[in-house]
Amino acid sequence: MENDDLESEELDEFESEETDREIVVPGEVLTEDVEHFNPGRGTILNKERTKIIALNIGLKQIKKNYINVIPLRGFYTPRPGDKVIALVIDKNPVKYKLDINAKDTAILKPKNAVRRGKIKALRGGAPGSRRMEAEEFDIGDILVAKIISADRLNMPELTLVGKYLGKKEDGIVISIDPPKIPRIIGRNGSMIKLLKNLTKCNIFVTQNGRIWIKGENIEYERLLIDAINKIETEAHTVGLTDRMSQYIENEKQKRGIK
Amino acid sequence: MPLIINDVYPEKLFREDGKRLDGRENNELRPIKMEVGVLSNADGSAYLEWGNNKIYAAVYGPREVHPHHLAKPDRGILRVFYRMATFSVFERKRPAPGRREKEISMIITDCIEPVLFLELYPGTAFEVFIEVMDADGGTRCASTTVAALALADAGVPMRSLVSSVAVGKIDGQLITDLSGIEDKAGEADLPCAITWFNDELSLLQFDGDMSLDELNESLSNARKALEKIHQIQSDALKRKYTSILEEVKEGDD
Repeated sequence: MENDDLESEELDEFESEETDREIVVPGEVLTEDVEHFNPGRGTILNKERTKIIALNIGLKQIKKNYINVIPLRGFYTPRPGDKVIALVIDKNPVKYKLDINAKDTAILKPKNAVRRGKIKALRGGAPGSRRMEAEEFDIGDILVAKIISADRLNMPELTLVGKYLGKKEDGIVISIDPPKIPRIIGRNGSMIKLLKNLTKCNIFVTQNGRIWIKGENIEYERLLIDAINKIETEAHTVGLTDRMSQYIENEKQKRGIK
Repeated sequence: MPLIINDVYPEKLFREDGKRLDGRENNELRPIKMEVGVLSNADGSAYLEWGNNKIYAAVYGPREVHPHHLAKPDRGILRVFYRMATFSVFERKRPAPGRREKEISMIITDCIEPVLFLELYPGTAFEVFIEVMDADGGTRCASTTVAALALADAGVPMRSLVSSVAVGKIDGQLITDLSGIEDKAGEADLPCAITWFNDELSLLQFDGDMSLDELNESLSNARKALEKIHQIQSDALKRKYTSILEEVKEGDD
């Protein structure tokens, strides 16, 4: 089973239970005690440096002396190291262009699309000289890729060299709101393990809000999609993991799936 | 034979009991209802009922700019498209965008721009589409309010919300939140908007005549009304999530 243990470790901070589930709106004053608190993620100091205000609609979280706002809505901003599910939308001999659900299309160069473990020796070449064989893709192909460079101004660049990366031949890809991805993974990957065990599906979650699903049969896949949609709407509630296991068991009985 | 109805305004804009024609006090707002997340295909959306005004706003972005020459290489742009439905006013409105719509689109853009971090999204655009389904005075203020709400719903980082209201003068008295007929027959009309992060006016237009003292008093009336509107805005944004919280709690019990 393909797992995202790495990702869940990275995203652990968003899934902290100490979050007091207070919903804040943009411009809301989080604290006026600037001596003891620092503005963290999703917050800003006002011009006079007397207040910390929220930038997003989200949940207020106090971690040590930092105040964060965990967004409930938003868009995906590519960061180096992220794994993404990408759709090939254009190709030419020099590069592929891929849609990664961000403001810019991403670029994949053939040198980063080398087929793993298939380095052939050149016929008649010098001993030890090898030829790299780049994989060919068509428009409409779905790839799991890793971002190697991304910034504010340039188009993000992708690579297919790495574990679990490459073209997906089967399965279903669904999209959810990118800020809710940490919830699908859960604390230390608890939610994703639960979903995998109860629905017998393979899941691959990526940070751009796309989820790849492959199950034994369509009933399980449908159940999993419904469950993911439920997690998305109830992302800001407490005790979600327990509720989801109950929900899936109930739905299994209702739908007559073993 | 075409139906010709002349605009006939009542001589007095106050009733005999001292209240306004729709039964409001001088500084009373019309009933306001706001809702977010009403359009599923948009990144963010909001719906507003402000008296008889009914307005939808949808936000998309950040996304590529078309036509491409409008894109700025160093920062993003905000584009607002204010449109009135043909059936929104008494006489059929021509659907092509006219001078008035372009002006209102521009003033809403300029009004909301200061609260956004456009420098973080170079080469892209945030697009706000505002559709007025029913109009009864003060649509530019209502549109500004609902556009800020839709942007917040889309998760666009904002310094604060933007609220807007019109104040004015009818029959020699200062009033808040002009309705359609008060707007047309009144003496002065003063739409204004505020950005809450610095407490500054982001929009101030003026039509009519008013003394300087009256202007100052109008603005302080507007401030009180804007605080109420800001409260309704934040409540509407939070309600989308608190309603789910309550549902879940009921399910647990």
